[in-house]
Amino acid sequence: MRRSFIGRFWPNATALVLFVIFLFPVYWMFATSFKPTGDIISENPVWFPLDPTFEHYRTAFDADNFWNFWKNSLTVTLLAVGISLLIALLASFAIARMRFRGRTGIILVFMFAQMAPWEVMVISVYMLVRDADMLNSLVPLTLFYTVMVLPLTILTLRTYVAAVPKDLEEAAMVDGATRTQAFRKVIFPLLAPGLMATSLFGFITAWNEFPMVLVLNKEAEAQTLPLWLSQFQTQFGDDWGATMAAASLFALPILVLFLYLQRKVTAGLTAGAVKG
Amino acid sequence: MTVQIPRPATEKAKGRARTTPPPPPGRHRKAQGSAGALPYLLLLPALAITAVLLGYPLVKNGILSFQKLGMKELIQHLTEWNGFDNYSDVLGGEDFWRVTLRTVVFTAVNVTLIMVLGTLVGLLLARLGRKMRLTLMMALVLAWAMPIIAATTVYQWLFAERYGVVNWILDKLGWHSMADYSWTSSQFSTFFVITVMLVWTSIPFVAINLYAATTTIAKELYEAAGLDGAGAWRTFTSVTLPFIKPFLLATTFLEVIWIFKAFPHVYAINGGGPDRLTETLPVYAFVEGVGNQHYGMGAAISVLTILVLMGLTSYYIRMVMKQEREDS
Amino acid sequence: MKRTAVAVLAAAGLVASLAACGSDDGGEDDGKGSGPGSFKGETLTFWAMDGSTPDDWLKDVQAEFEKKTGAKLEYKVQQWNGIQQKLTTALSEESPPDVVEVGNTQTPAYAATGGLADLTELKDEIGTEWTESLNESSIYEGKQYAVPWFFANRVVMYNKSIFEEAGITELPKTRDDLFAAFEKIEKNTDAEPIYMPGQNWYFFDGLLIGQDAELVKQDGDKWVSNLADPKVGQAMDIYKQYADFSTAPKDKDEATPQQGEVFGKGKTGAIIGMGWESGIAIEASKDKNFEKEIGYFTIPGETADTPESVFLGGSNLAIAAGSEKQELAQEFLKIALSDKHEGALAAANGVIPNKDSLLSKLEGNEAAEAAAPAAAVGGTTPLIPEWGAVENTPNPIKSYMTAFLNGKSHEEAAESVEGDLNERLAQE
Repeated sequence: MRRSFIGRFWPNATALVLFVIFLFPVYWMFATSFKPTGDIISENPVWFPLDPTFEHYRTAFDADNFWNFWKNSLTVTLLAVGISLLIALLASFAIARMRFRGRTGIILVFMFAQMAPWEVMVISVYMLVRDADMLNSLVPLTLFYTVMVLPLTILTLRTYVAAVPKDLEEAAMVDGATRTQAFRKVIFPLLAPGLMATSLFGFITAWNEFPMVLVLNKEAEAQTLPLWLSQFQTQFGDDWGATMAAASLFALPILVLFLYLQRKVTAGLTAGAVKG
Repeated sequence: MTVQIPRPATEKAKGRARTTPPPPPGRHRKAQGSAGALPYLLLLPALAITAVLLGYPLVKNGILSFQKLGMKELIQHLTEWNGFDNYSDVLGGEDFWRVTLRTVVFTAVNVTLIMVLGTLVGLLLARLGRKMRLTLMMALVLAWAMPIIAATTVYQWLFAERYGVVNWILDKLGWHSMADYSWTSSQFSTFFVITVMLVWTSIPFVAINLYAATTTIAKELYEAAGLDGAGAWRTFTSVTLPFIKPFLLATTFLEVIWIFKAFPHVYAINGGGPDRLTETLPVYAFVEGVGNQHYGMGAAISVLTILVLMGLTSYYIRMVMKQEREDS
Repeated sequence: MKRTAVAVLAAAGLVASLAACGSDDGGEDDGKGSGPGSFKGETLTFWAMDGSTPDDWLKDVQAEFEKKTGAKLEYKVQQWNGIQQKLTTALSEESPPDVVEVGNTQTPAYAATGGLADLTELKDEIGTEWTESLNESSIYEGKQYAVPWFFANRVVMYNKSIFEEAGITELPKTRDDLFAAFEKIEKNTDAEPIYMPGQNWYFFDGLLIGQDAELVKQDGDKWVSNLADPKVGQAMDIYKQYADFSTAPKDKDEATPQQGEVFGKGKTGAIIGMGWESGIAIEASKDKNFEKEIGYFTIPGETADTPESVFLGGSNLAIAAGSEKQELAQEFLKIALSDKHEGALAAANGVIPNKDSLLSKLEGNEAAEAAAPAAAVGGTTPLIPEWGAVENTPNPIKSYMTAFLNGKSHEEAAESVEGDLNERLAQE
């Protein structure tokens, strides 16, 4: 389908405008992180850090336990996403491919689980963890993040599983493979894009979680990045430069993950999006 | 890794009537025989971890909602039952109902905007050339990945009365009365800023998914529609829409939940102000529970919040349930 | 049920090895091990807020403490974000931090929870010289629940060049003088006379104290709002006269944006703030010599003989009731609050120490010298446990201020927030 110049002009022009709209706040965060403090708030906005400084990054890096925060965040997030993918894969295989009593009820359970208001349940979670004597540990944190992202992972993953042609699996089994082998060799590769797409949702959720880790882990050794990010906001006002520098660093892993997954994500969503 | 994306639906659709949506991919399920204990075994880990780590706090939360739980009780580990006091306090005042109504309207407006604009952006992505598409998609993902704390700070600042970029631009464009406009001074303008931010941060998810959904539609369907002389609108309603409808419904369901529960975005812009006029249910629960340090009250409000949310999504859930039952 | 939770938590052994646990309690010890002061092998945890403890002060206190007791001091800086949830939950734990810093306006609330240890005996031992007004917030129902640490109050920070350009030759001695000076700046320069956002609530609290106004009153055995009192309105009238010289947002406080940053731009005649806010201004300024532009004077009052009353913000130190190291914690307080270290803290941070005899340490600190005269007529927020919740966002007093500045009458503005204020005062 070849379109005329005019036919191409409007979509492209709209896309450019949207590009600017969506990118601007992100650009502003990034640009600000390099501006000298005197330029950050200004009668006439400073659009570009002409006189760049690394002072804010130094402040951000200088925070105590800097690497510890990173280590903990990566550990907790990757484990939570990994465990929930594993569990969700089993569950969604059952939901999408099998017939059994109580199936609709189980789907309902996960739909309701998706509605859980975690932010306001923090005190309940805290009291349980405290009474189990498991504060200041990454274990409860990992498990709660797992449960936090699990419902969405199951609900989306089952659509990907359902989209894998049954014939392929049967063909493999005719060839003498066991069900497990068929799953591992045939189904799993086809699911990979879906698994990765779902993991991005989970990653962003767990990576950003703040209220729970605030009360559960008071020892710096067991704290995560959102706490580091919030320390540049004080009672006496926010250090905007340092906050923006820290936020830019904080967003980096998500970007890297996306760039890495980008092609697969798009492809994965393609397979799964057919059925809600 | 290069993976051939399965397109069972489109393969089959080719030979059929052009404008009929394809059968759901799960169709073959009927052929599947009895599965015995296997499905339960597969579901066991998911159900167990959910039951313990979500179910237990939910029960605990329910229990707390019947207690007077302030700083003193929390610190000294005291349990002081107060029956239905928290509930009667909340439900007896007019605040709760006003906030509930406001939250429902707020959710409806935002979800509508997000779904309509997100769909449009998604369809635009499908029309763009490869390079332009990647460029726009990059911007969308960056917006999606921006940390909440950074996003709320930047938006607060873009819309600041003094030193705000938005007021500066409006002034330069000749709208001088906006030079010192206070966006946080009224309920409407505060909600406007919150909505702009929420829509901005939510569109990427909808748009990228929708674009992905449209790529599964076979080109032949469009060509056939073209031969039939269908216009752009007809083509959309008869070819595209049936394909993406289930997806739209599922996404709307998720967005309703997300927007309804949105806490940091709403709270950060103006703390629920001015005069508590922009508090939505989660903010209300936080202000009454944590801000007032009456955690029992907060628990009661959160229980009510879940009930309201269940009510709001019941239509969708019933629909899905019906479909699932037919399928199995 | 508890058992199940633990079992599941344990079942996920994958992550168990990552459980981060406490510090290595090795500890180099050359504590003499003699006398009652031997706490070899123990570790005391001390929570202080970000910005409270200068490095040198901490180092000296730590050295003396470890030498004298043989125990170790574990110091943990606390961030402001979410501190209240953090402190409240921490005090409920089995091994809470032993010594914590608590803001003076929050101290009664924490004292009433039973989370703080009774320090009445310690007061008799080391606190006979404490300035009475500074110790008031630590007393609840006749008992001492904290010890006064340091305090600070606001001053006028002004830009010397702008004052000079406006033709102000003498620093204002009365409120009228000050407003006359602001008028001169308005007329003779293109600077904003003062940056005064609508919700600088602690400055307003000072004005309330000056007008003898009370924010709350007793109604039977309950505290209720006294916001409708005409005296509150008088204080707000004065606030409005300040705010009228400024184009700052009426619904923001002095922290967003930080008023120091605005002042640092060099286009603002004055701000009312803490002495250390000059640091923010200097960092934000493009003028390398901006430090020399900054001057300080006491906020002038109605007449030349009494300065304007101020809010005396500050911090107390308290011992968690749940701490198992009560004796060691008291040892720490004795050292931290000794004349030597208390004086050093006052000198380093320019803050008011807990006894008058140490005030001489502030000599040479311009901002602190300007602040000192007003401290005598300083006050606090209502020292009742119920006050603890009032200042949490959304603070009804701030809403009142904005409503008034936006044109509502004092009565209307007070009425619009009294419901919320009373609701908060009803909690404990």
